[in-house]
This record gives sequence, C-alpha cells and structure tokens, in this order.
Amino acid sequence: MAIAHAAPSGYLERPRPSGLADVIDIILDKGLVIDAYVRVSLIGIELIVIDARIVIASVDTYLRFAEAVNRMDLTKTDDSDTLPELLDEIREGASSSKTKGAIDGAKEKLGIGGGDDDDDDNGKKSTRSRSTSGGSRRKAKDD
Amino acid sequence: MTEVHVFGVISAADGAPSGARTIAHRDVAAIVNEAQPDRTVATALLRAHSRILEEVAREATVLPVRFGTVMVDDRAVVDEFLAPSHDLLAARLAELAGKVQLSVKAFYEEEALLRGVVEGSPAIARLRERVRGLSPDAGYYERIRLGELVNAEVERARERDAAVVFGRLEPLAVDASNEPISTPDSAVNAAFLVERPRMDEFSAAVVRLGKEFEGRMRLRYVGPQPPYSFAGDDAKPGVPAWA
Repeated sequence: MAIAHAAPSGYLERPRPSGLADVIDIILDKGLVIDAYVRVSLIGIELIVIDARIVIASVDTYLRFAEAVNRMDLTKTDDSDTLPELLDEIREGASSSKTKGAIDGAKEKLGIGGGDDDDDDNGKKSTRSRSTSGGSRRKAKDD
Repeated sequence: MTEVHVFGVISAADGAPSGARTIAHRDVAAIVNEAQPDRTVATALLRAHSRILEEVAREATVLPVRFGTVMVDDRAVVDEFLAPSHDLLAARLAELAGKVQLSVKAFYEEEALLRGVVEGSPAIARLRERVRGLSPDAGYYERIRLGELVNAEVERARERDAAVVFGRLEPLAVDASNEPISTPDSAVNAAFLVERPRMDEFSAAVVRLGKEFEGRMRLRYVGPQPPYSFAGDDAKPGVPAWA
C-alpha cells in the first residue's frame, strides 16, 4: 500500500508547469479543431486516450478495489509495516507488471515510459500500474 | 511547400514563444513551427505542444489548437483557418484576455479512503470477511461484487470532495469545469479560469484546501495553463467539433 509522505511545505503556493500526466489528462482532447478538409492531419492518439477513459467502471477496477480492501488490516493502528504487509507489497509490485491498465497501454503506444516522466514529480504516485476510470464529463456550471 | 504544425492562436501584438514562430492575419496570429516529418514521436510532440503554449500563457492569452494539427503550408493557415475564423478567434481572445487556467487535481491516499469505506459500510465489511475466506477462483464473482460496492462508495466520496473543491475555489474564478478523472485514485480533476490579478488569492485558497485534505488527499496544482477547458473546440461557427 502506498505510504503517505508528508508533502513538502510550500508545494501548493505556486502552480507548477504541466507534467506529462497533466498533458495526457487534459491537453490531448482539448483545443480548437480545424476543419478536417483543410488540415493535413490530426495525430490520432487522442482516440487511444478516449478509449482508455471508457474503462471507467470496469471489472478491472472492481477487482483492484476488492484486492485492496481485502489486503487491508483493519486492526492496524500504527504505521509500521508488518511482515505480511511487506510481502503483499512485494507481490503487488510483481503482479502490477502483469495487469496493466488501459492508460499504460495507451502510454506504451505513445512511447511514454514511466522512466522519462521526469517533470511529473509531484502529485501522482504509483498510479501508472493501475487501470483507469474516466469520470463523466460535466461542466461544473451545468449542474 | 512545408507543412506546418499549428499550436495555438494569439493576438498579433504578442510575440512568438521560443522554438516557434507566428503567422499573422490582421490582429490575430497562429503559433506554428515546421511539422516534424516523423509523427510517431508523440511524446516529444506532446511536450513541445504543452511547453510552447504554456510559455505563451505565462504572459499572454492563447487559444489552444487541438494537439497534432498540421496544415499544408503557411498560406493554408491564413486562407483556411485565420481568415475564415477571424471574428470568432478575435472574440474568444478578447473574452479570455487577462485570464488563465489553473488546474487543481486531488488524489486519494488510498489506504485512508478504503479504510473509511469499509468501516462506514457494514455490508461491505461483511462481504469483505466472506471473500477473504474464499480462494481467488471460488470468490471471483464475490470479489467483483465487493469491488463494485467499494467503487460506488468511492464515486460518492468523489462527488462530496468535488463539491468541497468547487465550493471553495469557484467563487474566486470566472468559470470552472469538472474534468474527467483518469486514475482510480483520482478524487477530483478541476479546472478554473482565473483572472491574473486574483492568482495569488486563488493559490492561497489552494494551500488552505491542501492543509485541510492532508492525510486524506494530495493535491496537484498546475498552471498557469492556456484556457484548455474554456476556449471551446469549434474553430468555425456552425461546424461540428469533430468534422
């Protein structure tokens, strides 16, 4: 399970430039669309990402949540890892390479490896090996 | 004839960012550079797209163009895009002048979240106990059911937490947009259109929110970005977004 690290103080005082994860999240399917008849091409990777978001409430997500709650030790009160938990973490690490989420697939197609994500140091952690769920799109104002 | 990659539109009075040039038509200008012959290096192109637009957004107002848009040559950019869409582009630039997008994303500390879910729902706690006693194969459908119930609780938590984020930050913004989340540990993916003079006030509110959420959620605060969520996606009035 992820261990909570104290956030570095002042990390929210100024907004940060976009990291690659932000680019995928928000940039890819946004912006003015120029008429298809007059442009040469529109690189087709946004389709992959839209595909990835369709996995919103998938069996993958359910199984992952089920696994996570099953692993949880509800009697645990302190923060020290017990041996079974450490073993779980090792197993989790091993299995996460087998069960890849759609975003990973999309990122692989984009040639985006976890290792080159140097500008994405803040915020998301260990989200890469998980399957995806895309929220329903709605403007806050429309609610 | 050199194909050009189109990144965004600015006022012709604003300068080009590094690594790009502008093609002006009357008072608007497209930010472009020479299209890469190899369009398979999507990562590099994505980074370039984001960096170029963000550099402009630091000082000026920019309308982003959909990632990966390539046109035949400079003339096509004027004749097929800037000229026919001039009034729309000029109006959008005027509307968005002096405003930037700031994105606030919240991610759950998963253990704390799921602990709360199990402890808050007797039905989930009971099913969890039952599933724990079953072999993975025997308990397959029970596990899916358990995950489904947990997921529903997580969805409810997202709605509650989004309401808090928007309740706190939307009053400081001109507009707000609830964006889709992209990972299971995502709580909220919110975009705000903020007037530049109010950025510090907005940032202070984000800091307060981050303190409140500590231990339960981590925040990621990104910007100033071009108004990706507020610039619209139709380049011409009356033309469907996905032609």
